[in-house]
Amino acid sequence: MIGALSRHRPLALLAAVVLAQVLLLAYQIRRSHDVRLIRYWSVEASTPAAQGGTWFFSHLGGLWSGYIGLRNARTENDQLRAEVAQLELQNRELETQANEAHRLEVLLNFREVHSEAQMLAAQVIEASADPASETLVINRGDEDRVKRNMAVITPDGVVGKVVEVFHGTSQVMLMTDKNMGVGAMFADTRTHGVIKGTGDPQPVMDYVVNDEKVAVGQTIVTSGEDKIFPKGLLVGVVASAKDGNPFQKIVVRPAARLDRLEDVIVLLTQEELAPGKPGTPYTVSPVPPPPPAPAAAQIKSTTTGGANPAKTENPAAPQSSAGVKTEHPVGTQATPVVKPDQLGGPAR
Amino acid sequence: MASMLNTGLQSEQNIEVHKFYSGSVVLVSFVALILQAFLHKYGRWADVVDLPLLIVIYFGVSRRNPVTGLLLGAAIGIFQDGLSHDNPIGLYGIAKTLVGYLASTIGAHIDTDHPVARFVLTFAFFHFHQCILAFTERALLNQSAPYFSLHLLVDSLISAAVAVFLFAALDRLRKSS
Repeated sequence: MIGALSRHRPLALLAAVVLAQVLLLAYQIRRSHDVRLIRYWSVEASTPAAQGGTWFFSHLGGLWSGYIGLRNARTENDQLRAEVAQLELQNRELETQANEAHRLEVLLNFREVHSEAQMLAAQVIEASADPASETLVINRGDEDRVKRNMAVITPDGVVGKVVEVFHGTSQVMLMTDKNMGVGAMFADTRTHGVIKGTGDPQPVMDYVVNDEKVAVGQTIVTSGEDKIFPKGLLVGVVASAKDGNPFQKIVVRPAARLDRLEDVIVLLTQEELAPGKPGTPYTVSPVPPPPPAPAAAQIKSTTTGGANPAKTENPAAPQSSAGVKTEHPVGTQATPVVKPDQLGGPAR
Repeated sequence: MASMLNTGLQSEQNIEVHKFYSGSVVLVSFVALILQAFLHKYGRWADVVDLPLLIVIYFGVSRRNPVTGLLLGAAIGIFQDGLSHDNPIGLYGIAKTLVGYLASTIGAHIDTDHPVARFVLTFAFFHFHQCILAFTERALLNQSAPYFSLHLLVDSLISAAVAVFLFAALDRLRKSS
């Protein structure tokens, strides 16, 4: 470069002198907006470089934020994921506590409404390992004065009965168990029947004659004939009903959520619970008894008796509505005799 | 014309580099610039002949040194710009720098002492100078200066004629070899 300049020194000097004068001219000349030409040239010359630099650094910044910076983003993402997981866990715990508080509040209300009854709150601690057995275990036992054949309910309705009592726990048979029976009646017509477990989520109500008008959604309550469940406890509603031989096939949808039991109530006595406040589902107020029918049959409700259809005096005869005092049934027709093992007696 | 060119065009080895008395180049250039500015106030006719341009051409082709030629042209042109009051500095400077360089380069290859050669060279350099001026004005000043016109042709012919006599007068400033 230097050699070429020395060889062409006159030409190089010419270029330098001309260039210097061009710059001198550019310094003096003002273009539009009173901008010196040399400034105009400078801006024009530097603009592509500046644009290129801006493009380069913006893409470099994009490269940094898009790739290299992702290392930090990944770490931050992991931290956020862990934080979200922890928050979700806390949220579930809070939801669980809120649900538990709600359940306890319901239980407390139930206890306050039926303050005259002796009852014991219990928690379900495990279920049966046998899929065919609809039983569960509660955390109340002999030390809590729990005894066999005590009724287990929830504020929603009947759950089952205590079948085995241990020192600190008890085994409860659900009303859906095949060996379970509950004396029941329709809340409006007072027609009696027996709730039988089938092993399915929905038990059936047996011993209701075909002539009895049963509607879907009809409320079913305990009759108290089994000497286990006090009269008037909500059992469920009719899910479906159709004629059978010799009795109707009535499927009952339990009022209590038997598939998600957590807190239950053990009734320490069999005293009939007082009707709850209007609107509370705990018990169903009895309706006034209809006029007695001429051919009223009497239910053989004894602890040794049973709901044996074969012993029904007139199974096909229409059943009558029951009054308040259903332990002395005033049904127009014979109500099937309930066996104690089906009406809350030992399942064995 | 052909014989005159043949007489003028000699080999580079035979071309003599003229030297001048010390200070004569500066003094002549200064006088030319002052005279150009002084005569300018007496009317347009004084602008017909660009005396500084003729000085640049003469010393360029006489000294036959491109470096001194372009420097002299730059100095005279800038000085002329300075005296013009309305021209940006460098307008005449660029043009006369190129003329000085080109005149020195050409003078190093051909004999420019012949009056016809001086006439032709002055004529050519006048238009070359004008083209540079016009280009610079168009490019930098955004003005529509003409590259060529009949008026410029007349001026160039007059300048070339004046140059023949002026150069002969300036030859007296040469040192005798």
